[in-house]
Amino acid sequence: MALTSFNYRSARAEKARISISIGKTSLKLLDIAAVLLLIAGVCFVIIGVTIGWVLIGFAVIPAMISEWKNGELTILKADTKNESIDGLLEADILGLLPPTPSPYDIATLLGQVYGGQFFAVRFGVGTGFLQEIASKDTNDIEALWQEAFAVRKQVGGGLITAGMLVVALIKTHANNAMLLAHLQLDIDDLLQGITWQQHINDLIALTKLPRRTGGIGRDWSFGWTPLLTRFGQNISDGVAGGSLLTVKLESHMEALEHLVTSLSAKGQGNVALIGPDGVGKTTIIYALAEKLIDPKSDVPADLQFRQIFMLDASSLISAAPGRGELENLVVRILGEAYSAKNIIICLDNAQLFFEEGIGSVDLSNVLLPIIENGRMRMIFAMDEGRYLQISQRNSKLANAFNRIAVSSPSRAEVIAVLQDQLINIEFRQNVTYMYQALGEAYRLSERYIYDLAMPGRAVKLLEAAAGYAEGGLVTARSVQQAIEKTQDIKIGIASGDDERDKLLNLESLIHERMINQTRAVSVVSDALRRARAGVRNQDRPIGTFLFLGPTGVGKTELAKALAEVYFGGETNIIRLDMNEYVSNDDVSRLIADGATDSMSLTAQAMKQPFSVILLDEIEKAHPNVLTTLLQMLDEGILRDVKNREVSFRDAIIIATSNAGAERIREHIERGLDIEKFEDQLVNELIEGGQFKPEFLNRFDEIVMFRPLKKDELLQVVDLMIKKVNETLALQKVSVSVSPEAKAYLVDQGYDPRLGARPMRRVVQKAVENTVAKKMLSGEVEPGGVVEITLEQVQTLITSKAQADDIVAQSQQIDKA
Amino acid sequence: MVYYSLNGYNEDMFLVGILSWWYNEGWRQRYSLIISRLASVSDRFSIIILLSTLFAPYRQISAGGVKGAIGVQFRAFIDRLISRFVGLLVRLLMVIVGLIALIYQIIVGAIVLLFWPLIPIFPVVGLILFAIGWIPAWL
Repeated sequence: MALTSFNYRSARAEKARISISIGKTSLKLLDIAAVLLLIAGVCFVIIGVTIGWVLIGFAVIPAMISEWKNGELTILKADTKNESIDGLLEADILGLLPPTPSPYDIATLLGQVYGGQFFAVRFGVGTGFLQEIASKDTNDIEALWQEAFAVRKQVGGGLITAGMLVVALIKTHANNAMLLAHLQLDIDDLLQGITWQQHINDLIALTKLPRRTGGIGRDWSFGWTPLLTRFGQNISDGVAGGSLLTVKLESHMEALEHLVTSLSAKGQGNVALIGPDGVGKTTIIYALAEKLIDPKSDVPADLQFRQIFMLDASSLISAAPGRGELENLVVRILGEAYSAKNIIICLDNAQLFFEEGIGSVDLSNVLLPIIENGRMRMIFAMDEGRYLQISQRNSKLANAFNRIAVSSPSRAEVIAVLQDQLINIEFRQNVTYMYQALGEAYRLSERYIYDLAMPGRAVKLLEAAAGYAEGGLVTARSVQQAIEKTQDIKIGIASGDDERDKLLNLESLIHERMINQTRAVSVVSDALRRARAGVRNQDRPIGTFLFLGPTGVGKTELAKALAEVYFGGETNIIRLDMNEYVSNDDVSRLIADGATDSMSLTAQAMKQPFSVILLDEIEKAHPNVLTTLLQMLDEGILRDVKNREVSFRDAIIIATSNAGAERIREHIERGLDIEKFEDQLVNELIEGGQFKPEFLNRFDEIVMFRPLKKDELLQVVDLMIKKVNETLALQKVSVSVSPEAKAYLVDQGYDPRLGARPMRRVVQKAVENTVAKKMLSGEVEPGGVVEITLEQVQTLITSKAQADDIVAQSQQIDKA
Repeated sequence: MVYYSLNGYNEDMFLVGILSWWYNEGWRQRYSLIISRLASVSDRFSIIILLSTLFAPYRQISAGGVKGAIGVQFRAFIDRLISRFVGLLVRLLMVIVGLIALIYQIIVGAIVLLFWPLIPIFPVVGLILFAIGWIPAWL
C-alpha cells in the first residue's frame, strides 16, 4: 500500500473510531455499571437469587471495555508493520477522519482535538486560519500527507500528531512564509511547537509514574539533623515531593557531571559553582538533588541518597546575632551534617559567608579548615565578581575551592527553560502564554535587563508580562508592554494615531521651537520614522549624527527639541559635555557602575534606554574616550566596568562639534552651498588631526549647521518671546514686543562668534526685566498685555558695549 | 454482512479488537503493571536498603572513631553496639512488614494473571450457573 494512501477501513482506523465513541463520560458510566452489576450480582447470590450469576458475569463486559480504552485505545500505538497514514496518525484525529478527507476537513477537525487547540492558543494558528488556507479538493490530500510525513521525519518520528498536520497544512500553502510572518512566526517556530507539545505530554506522563526515592528506611543508617532541619532548606525533600521543579539542560550536563565527580569519594569534596545571577546555579543544584535520590541514576554509591541542605545566611545571623554565637552555631550545624553522613551542605550566595556587611558575615576562619580538610561535602554558589573579590582578599580560600563555571544556555535552551517554567507561572498567574511571547521575552530581556543572566532575566520578564495579559492571553505585545512600563522605553511599532501623526509631522513640530537647519531636522526625523516603523537595523542605534557648525546655531537645541517632541520631555536627554572627558582616566568615568556614579553614560542609558544621547563638543574628548565610544556608535552597545553589555539601540546619538566652524562661516560668507562642501570639510578635519577617519565613519550622517541670518534671528526672538509668554501665562499676563524693538534686540544680541546664544540673555534682560518692573509697580494687571517698544529696550540696553557685557556674562554662565 | 455503528466503526471489529488486545497486549500490560507494583512496594519499605544496612547503627549520632581513654572508647563501642541492636530490630520488623506486603502483592498479581484469560468467558459462566440454579452450599 502506498505510504500516503488513507485506508478508512483499516483495523487501526476502526479502533480510533471506537475510541472516539467511548468518551470520558462513557468511560465513567462503564466503570459505574461494572461496580453496580458486581455488587447487585453478589447481593442476589447471597440471598439465593441465581440471576445474580448473570449480573456478576456481565459486570466484566463494561470493565473489559474500560480496560481496553485505557490500555490501548486512548493512545493507539503506531502500526509499525503498516507505515501508512492510517497506521501512524494520532488516534484522536484518525477517529474523526471521513472516508475521503480533504485538507479543509483536516483543518476543521484540528479545532476539535487537543493538539490543534494547542497550536490555536499558543501560536494563534486556529481553525479559521487553517480553513482559510486549506483546499477543499480531496485530490490535494495526497500532498498534505506527504508533507506530514516529511515533518514527522524532521522532528524525529513517532506518531503523526495534530501539530504535524498544522505545520503540513501551512507548508503546502504557496505563501506560507508571508502568512507566518504576519503572525511573527516561521516554520522553525512551528516545529518547535510540535516538540513543545510532545514535551508537555512527556512531563504529564512522568507525573503519573510512581516516584521511587528510597522509601521509609532510607535514612535510618544516618544521623538525626534537627539543627539543619531548623536552619536549612532540604532541597532533596522539595524535589522528591514535587514542590521544587527541576529542569534538565544540555548546557548544564557538563557542570552536573563535574559536580558529581567532585563530590564523590574521588573528588575534593567541595565545589564552587561560579556564574552570574540567573544563569541556573540553583537549577543545577536541584538537578543534582534529583539525581542523588533516584535509585536508578548512575551516581557513585557513596553519593546515593545524600540529601542537599541549603543554608541561608540571614536566618543564621538572625538566630545568632553575636559573632561568637554565630560561629558556634555554624560549627554545630556542620558537625551535625558531618555526623549524619548523608548530607551535602549548599551555601547559595556563598559570598555572604565570606564578607562582613549587612546580612553577611565573614566565617572564613571557621569554613576554611573544613573546606581544606575535604571530608565534608559542600557546594558554594556565587557570581564571578564575588569569587574574584574573595580570591583577592583570601587567595588560600579561593584555591581551596574546586571551581566549576556555569555558562549561559543557548537561545533554544532558554526557550526550553521558559516552556518548563510556564507550567508553574501559568498556574500561579492564571494566564496562558503564546509562543511569540517567549521569543519576545528572550529578545527584550537580553537587550534591556542587566541585573540577571539568561535564563533568569527572560523568566523575570515573562512573569512581569502576566500583568499585561489581554483576556488571559500573554502575547508578544504583553511582553513589550511589560518592558515599556518597567524600563520606560518604546518597543512596539508605532500604533496609536497620536504617535503616527507626531511621527509624520515631526519636522514641523521640531520647527515650532527651532529655526531653519532643515537638513539636520530632516535626517533625525527620518531616522526616528524608520525606527518606529520597524524597518531599521535593530543591531545599531536608531541614528548616529555628528552636527558640525559654529556655536549658537541650534545643534544642541535640535537634540533638546527632539527629546521634548518625541522622547517625552527635555529630561529624556542624556547629555555629556565631552570637555569633561579630556584625560585617559575619564574613560572609566564614562562607563562607571551606576552604584558608584549614577551620571555615567552607561548608568544613565541603563535607566533610560529610549532617549537622545547628546555628546556636546565631542572634539574636546580624549582620543581614548572616542575609541571607547566606537562600539556604541557602530553596534549600539557599550560594556560598563562590570562588563555588562549596555544597549544604546533605542537611542538617537547626537555628537556636536565646533570643529571647522570658521571654514563653514567662510563658505557661507562667500555665498557657497555648504552641502557641497561637506566632504571637503570632513577631509580637512581628518587631515587636521581633529578626528580619526574610523570615528567619523561610524556616524550615519555628518550634518553641517550654517550660521543664522538676521531674518532667522528675528524668528528666534519670536520663539524666545513665546517662551516668556508661556511662563507669564500663570500670571494671566502677556508680552508684546514691537518689530523695531525685536530688530534692535537682534542687532545688540547677535555675536558672530556665539551665534544666537547670547540673544537669550539680551531678551531676558530687556523683556523679562521690563515685565517684572511693570507687574510690581501695578502698571499691568491680570489679563493685561505688556507692550515693549524700541525706546524701552534702548533704555535698558543703551549701547552695543552694554550688550557685549551681557554677551560676555552669558558666555561665562555657559562655561560655568 | 458488515454492521456499522452510528460512529462509523465496524461492530465486528469491536469484538475482534477487544479480544485480540485482551489476550495479547492487555495481558502483557497487566504483567508489567504487577511487576511495577512489586518494585514500588519494595522501594516503599526500603527492603534492599534495610537488608544491606541490617547491622548498621540506628540513626547514628557520631561519626568516625572515638578518641580518648580506653573507658571512653569502650563506652562508645557499647553505645554503637546498642544502636546496632536497636537498628537490627527495627529494620527486621520493617523488612518483615515489607515482605508480607510483597507476598500479598505477588499472590494478588498471580491470581489476576491466572484469571485474566478467563474473564471474557465470565458472562457465559454466569449464564450457565443461572441456568443450573447453583448456589454455594455455605450460603
